[in-house]
Amino acid sequence: MSRWFIALGGACALAGSMIVMAKPIAFAGGYTVMAEYGAGTMEEMQLFYAPRYDFSFGGGYLELNSDETTETRYVSYARLNYLVRRWNLDDAQANIYIWGGLGSATGNRFAGSVFSQNAGAQADYETRRVYASFKTDLQRSADFSHRIDTLQLGLAPYKHEYGGVATWFLVQAREYTGGIHRGAETALLVRLFKGGTWVEAGITNGGKLQAMAMFNF
Amino acid sequence: MKALRRILFLLMCLASASAEATTIEMNVNGLVCAFCAQGIEKQLRKFPATSDVVVSLEQKLVAVALKDGQDIPDSELRRALTNAGYTVKSIERTQTPIADVRERLRQRKP
Repeated sequence: MSRWFIALGGACALAGSMIVMAKPIAFAGGYTVMAEYGAGTMEEMQLFYAPRYDFSFGGGYLELNSDETTETRYVSYARLNYLVRRWNLDDAQANIYIWGGLGSATGNRFAGSVFSQNAGAQADYETRRVYASFKTDLQRSADFSHRIDTLQLGLAPYKHEYGGVATWFLVQAREYTGGIHRGAETALLVRLFKGGTWVEAGITNGGKLQAMAMFNF
Repeated sequence: MKALRRILFLLMCLASASAEATTIEMNVNGLVCAFCAQGIEKQLRKFPATSDVVVSLEQKLVAVALKDGQDIPDSELRRALTNAGYTVKSIERTQTPIADVRERLRQRKP
């Protein structure tokens, strides 16, 4: 699984079209495919379709490997995303999203497959030079519960134009609950995107790779 | 006399055609990223009257080139942009060819 994410990130980088935090809804009538490699602790893949600009549905797969213990969790889920509010300003845009879903989880600390629930929210603010977002994502079942909180702050060295490559430098702080990771994990990231393709990659304070690729079409 | 009438008729037709808008220029709020532009372009290309679309994040401008003799009502344009998730500030019809709009935007790039 890890190799798949690394290969995907590498292919995107080689294509010269690397990665802003992914929005759960790209645009009306569009598909979003996202894959993230989270420093060996978290790996996630998602596929969503948005029939409207404020609503999308789809599914995902999440794998967690605790760096405190030997615990692993694998969650497959179906999810609905909803844009609660959007502010279209002269030179900026801000959004609030929420989502919820149901799934099935397996792991090495409980037997068989268990029913799981997913809920989360994201708030973001973006100009062509400044980016800020906060995302919280909860997965729970009768046998486990964890939440992943992610804060991203970014600066663009120049204002990109449609058709050109956008470049962002970001600081990411992430915290896991549920015995997945002790303390906050920080990462420095470079994000490039062009058209419907975006890729970001960087390194965490623990010296591990953090990468994500997203495709909108 | 007949020839003169024909010439006058042709001139009137030409004058009428040249008065038709060839490009619609819209100022849009919330245009900050390529994904925004991608969604808007996709919506606007669905109109049968659309021949080309140009988006400028710098100028907050969305321009639609119209096919000969065709138009898209303002209400339809506003609906398309709203459905794409953006806010239209103004809509203006011009006779500027889309290539000229593109060149104007290119020259204004920072």
